[in-house]
Amino acid sequence: MANADSKRVKSVILQGVYEENLKIGAGSPASVRRRAILRRRRTAVPVLLILLVSLALVTGRFSPLPDRTPAAEPSALAEPAPMLPWPDILSGYTHAPLAPPPAEKIVSAPLPAVPLDAGRLLDYDLLLNSDSVRLSAVFGLGVQTIVIDPGHGGKDPGAIGSHGTMEKDIVLDIALRLRDRLQQSGNYRVLMTRDDDTFLSLAERVRFANTHDTDLFISLHINALPQKESNVTETYYFGPPSDLYTLRLAEQENRGSDIQTGDFRNMIRKIGDLLKEQESATLAATIQQSLFSNMQKYDKKISDAGTKIAPFVVLLGVDAPSVLVEISCITKQEEELSLGTESYRDQISLFLQQGITRYLSQRHIQVVKGEKNDKEIGNKSG
Amino acid sequence: MTKKSATKAAEKNKKLLVGIDLGTSRSAIAADNGKRKWVESYVGWPRDFIARKVVGKPVLFGEEAVAHRLSLDIYRPLKNGVIKEGTARDEEAVKELIRHLLSLVRPESDDSRVRAVVGVPAESFKVNKVALKKAVAEFAESLLVVSEPFAVAYGVEALDNAMVIDIGAGTVDFCIMHGTVPAEEDQRTVLTAGDYIDQQLESFLRERYPEADFTLNMVRRFKEEHSFVGEPPGEVKVEIPVEGKSTLHDITDEMQRACESILPAIVETTLELIAKFDPEYQDAIRENIILAGGGSQIRGLADYLEKTIGEYGPTTIKTVEDPLFGGADGALALACEMPEEYWTEL
Repeated sequence: MANADSKRVKSVILQGVYEENLKIGAGSPASVRRRAILRRRRTAVPVLLILLVSLALVTGRFSPLPDRTPAAEPSALAEPAPMLPWPDILSGYTHAPLAPPPAEKIVSAPLPAVPLDAGRLLDYDLLLNSDSVRLSAVFGLGVQTIVIDPGHGGKDPGAIGSHGTMEKDIVLDIALRLRDRLQQSGNYRVLMTRDDDTFLSLAERVRFANTHDTDLFISLHINALPQKESNVTETYYFGPPSDLYTLRLAEQENRGSDIQTGDFRNMIRKIGDLLKEQESATLAATIQQSLFSNMQKYDKKISDAGTKIAPFVVLLGVDAPSVLVEISCITKQEEELSLGTESYRDQISLFLQQGITRYLSQRHIQVVKGEKNDKEIGNKSG
Repeated sequence: MTKKSATKAAEKNKKLLVGIDLGTSRSAIAADNGKRKWVESYVGWPRDFIARKVVGKPVLFGEEAVAHRLSLDIYRPLKNGVIKEGTARDEEAVKELIRHLLSLVRPESDDSRVRAVVGVPAESFKVNKVALKKAVAEFAESLLVVSEPFAVAYGVEALDNAMVIDIGAGTVDFCIMHGTVPAEEDQRTVLTAGDYIDQQLESFLRERYPEADFTLNMVRRFKEEHSFVGEPPGEVKVEIPVEGKSTLHDITDEMQRACESILPAIVETTLELIAKFDPEYQDAIRENIILAGGGSQIRGLADYLEKTIGEYGPTTIKTVEDPLFGGADGALALACEMPEEYWTEL
């Protein structure tokens, strides 16, 4: 690059770095505005907490934990919380003028006199910022509807092997077998985005999932690699950075403050996002583990690319926990031939089912085993 | 203004510019006073007053912390190259690590105000900016956060039509440079990196040598000494104790399999990023790929990638001269060239 060009490019880049940093700057106007909004919302905290309780009670997905007294009973809420980390908030509740909540929002749960369980409700720092808390377990969430999404279809063949095998046909067959297997348990409603050779856009797949009360979304694909001798299995999930940012930002804002749960909408969204990410990651891990450990028996050289985060539109768009499985590589001739056999496809559907079943059986484990720093090193790791 | 007060004012305005590369495994710092240091990203506090007496320090870092690990609560706070949040101790550990890094390049008598550019993994950019600002605020007057591969690119002046692949312990970061600050879609992070190789190698070795007695830390050292992909450079043999007796073990195959386990993801992500770029410039980018980070030292890696990606067209892959300091040097270059008006106080 010529010297003058280089100078100009550097100047553009340095300005870009500055502007990028300004967006996150603690003193930036956006940040100041955000704090002002939070301050305004402080007075509405108790009302919002009540709405949170209402939401937890009226939506099937936020059913109370089985061993707890139903939260709808005002008496349960009226019990004094043993630890109230932010007494200022409670006193604020007693004295601060409350903005009247929208009428339709309070119909389902009468306002309790004092939300004395607020201490527990307020402790979202633990819920949202701890690696060891699994929200699906905390909220006792179940899975009813599983959507299987065979990739490509119709005019879009997907990857094509050297013998002409098409990804769209293989994944459809595996998906149909997987559907039958999951349905056999009788516990789940299993839907397919397509059950024949039809083309569906990504938007249509997303729409299908989001309009069918999907609890889990599993997209099936076969990979193609330039290294024809390679065979890889990998499972993706979407981890939107903006959500993580929101989480961290909330944690930062919360620490040492007395307005920690001031933003009801944010809270709900964060729970949803974190929940989706936690569940997607766990589902991806169990599927990947099952696929790889079993497919090794068929191809000793198959590589385990692990679980990966990638911005697939279909994973972003679907509201429910979702994963995209790249089962294997059709570009490896031996693998293509195997995929052409019914028995192999049936086995793959079994491996997928095992991964999904393992995930479903783990959902009630409340505390996810966390990483212990002091065990990472030095100590025997076997 | 008197000469004395002018000197005082000058001293007060004295700045120390630093570039910091915070990593899962190692963290590096480069300063404009010519000092460059690195440290293993471990921080440890004595478990009790006896341990405090034994180790003789309130907090230990790097290899020293690892060596005294039995007496310490030891933390490796940068999971996947980002600040692990959730516990106050992890954040405290990051603070201590930064304090320590600064102390390595700034004499105690030096009270100049610090301006820092810190590199973080590409995909965790926003999260880390906030977390880092918290950690650095105590020690620095001003801070700018950039993505690690971007810092490397700036350091080697690969500013246009270039791609940096920064292979660290926790992440492999990809970044395409096209004459401006890379946007999110120009960057990727893959989590199968150096630590993943360690885990794979450990698992392969346990399978092959169940009687051998070793730790993950030892496995990491084996990797750092003998890693390779492709044709083995020779037999890889290491000493591992068996029932207390040091015994030579051949780990050639296991080393190869473990190191090659990260290749598919690297190749795939590289091709995907290039394919998404303006087709007119794809060839130029393919011919200007730069490997950085500790993982770039894996023997045969550049050749392997050049050959594999070369199937798509002429490909040139270079490795940065000093992978350990590539990120820190680049961050320092940014700090040095950053106009005064772009530094804002924390």
